[in-house]
Amino acid sequence: MLRYTKLYWYFVIQRFKILMEYRLNFFIGSISTVLFQGASLVALWAVLRQVPSIQGWTFEQILLIYGLLTLSKGINHLFADNLWVVGRDYIRPGQFDRFLVRPINPLFHLLADRICHDAIGDFIVGLSLVSYAMVQLQLPINLTSIGFIILMVISGGVIFIALNLITAATSFWIMDSIAVTNVVFHTNEFAQYPLTFYHRSIGMVLTWLIPYGFASYYPASYLLGHEIGWMAWLAPVVALVCITIAYKGWLLGLRNYGSTGS
Amino acid sequence: MDKLYYRLRTYRSVVGMNIKEILAYNFWFWSQVGAHILLTIAYISFWKALYSERDSIAGLDMQQTLTYIILARIVMPLVQWGYTQEFGFWIREGTISSELLRPVDFQERIYIGHLTRTFVSLAQQLIVVGSLALFVFKISLPTDPLVWLSFLISLLLGCSILFCFDWIFGCIAFYSTEVWGLQVVRGSVLLLFSGVLLPLTMLPTALQTIAKWLPFAQSVSVPVSILSGMTPLSNLGSIWLQQLAWLSVMFILSRLMFNFSVRKITVQGG
Repeated sequence: MLRYTKLYWYFVIQRFKILMEYRLNFFIGSISTVLFQGASLVALWAVLRQVPSIQGWTFEQILLIYGLLTLSKGINHLFADNLWVVGRDYIRPGQFDRFLVRPINPLFHLLADRICHDAIGDFIVGLSLVSYAMVQLQLPINLTSIGFIILMVISGGVIFIALNLITAATSFWIMDSIAVTNVVFHTNEFAQYPLTFYHRSIGMVLTWLIPYGFASYYPASYLLGHEIGWMAWLAPVVALVCITIAYKGWLLGLRNYGSTGS
Repeated sequence: MDKLYYRLRTYRSVVGMNIKEILAYNFWFWSQVGAHILLTIAYISFWKALYSERDSIAGLDMQQTLTYIILARIVMPLVQWGYTQEFGFWIREGTISSELLRPVDFQERIYIGHLTRTFVSLAQQLIVVGSLALFVFKISLPTDPLVWLSFLISLLLGCSILFCFDWIFGCIAFYSTEVWGLQVVRGSVLLLFSGVLLPLTMLPTALQTIAKWLPFAQSVSVPVSILSGMTPLSNLGSIWLQQLAWLSVMFILSRLMFNFSVRKITVQGG
């Protein structure tokens, strides 16, 4: 464990050196997410300023959901962005073999190979939204609520990583998994709004099958004092189950891996 | 015998490889379509929830807004990215030099190619998102052929305006040799001010004014408003005149800008 922590640190430093060579790109990458999310948020505000609430949800309450989801997304973006391109950049060109001959876990190597700094934008947006919403809604800001948020954001991040890991593992069979990851990942957009907005079946899917709801809707409901019982605390369990299944799937794929032969 | 077996095995891999290759591109296409559909469903649900407790927002009723939104979703993939990426590619790879040497007008050739892709993409989106609208959301699209024709003309003008704008914008790459940042700025401004996310009349007055002075609304909000029935056909004359005015200004500017900045060109490693 200590060895892996040390190694990860080396990877981070190497990555940082590369980034400092291209400072403009570093800056642009960080603000790109802020710009895009800013545009969507202004649009959301423009609509909601004309109405008091949607089915009981006010603008600030929706921002809390949106902010929590963005933070979880940021964790995935920062630590596991390479899962998107494992097929295109590693397996297809035969680069993946490199990982297999080294004395560390190939998955660890893959993730550490590219830490994605663009995630800074996600953290800026997410943190601002959550704090703004908490203050506006006069929710208690104390050790318990902050601890709860941190636990939920980490769980949400793990759920994001797990779903991307399952879809990335398909590239061991179909070479390039971006298409699969793309579809599954995009269902997270449903979790930007309260799940009650949707048909019941969509809510079920986002809770039990593709559980992005645990990254946003359930923790936000708990913070807002809605009656959701033990569902409020389920996120860490769901995250653990997801990541275990995903890692099993990854290992299965790894056993099936035959190099490109080039 | 062994030799034959060996060859069969080799060819089996070749066949498999090719199928995977085809599927990879096919997959990507359908994956884009799938993601677009998911987002459309999420978006329509949001608007339905919004209208579940009230009859009108900013003077628009649910049917009008939903029709507008679904049509904007159809047009969105045509305008979302532009081709600034290609400008960067030509310059970075140095292929710009051979592009400029061909015996046809450079801008014209790119324009035709761009238009082809735009309208093929429109057909695809109409089939996929259009059937989603009809069968899943029961949103009725207009049936009057005259409305469709007016929409197509307005869209053609709008996309040409956007093409010229992107051309001017792409010329910045001659100076910056960096396009990703340009794309991000263009993309996010377009998202808010073109009307892909909401009917522009819902924006506060100050933002509406900005939208009016940017070219993006010409390619989304203007044609989609015609098709969704928000703009009466009697206004067509003045709308087309405005679009033509936009187009002439943008076209002249794009010519000037290109002729001026092409001198800046540095073919890297060419």
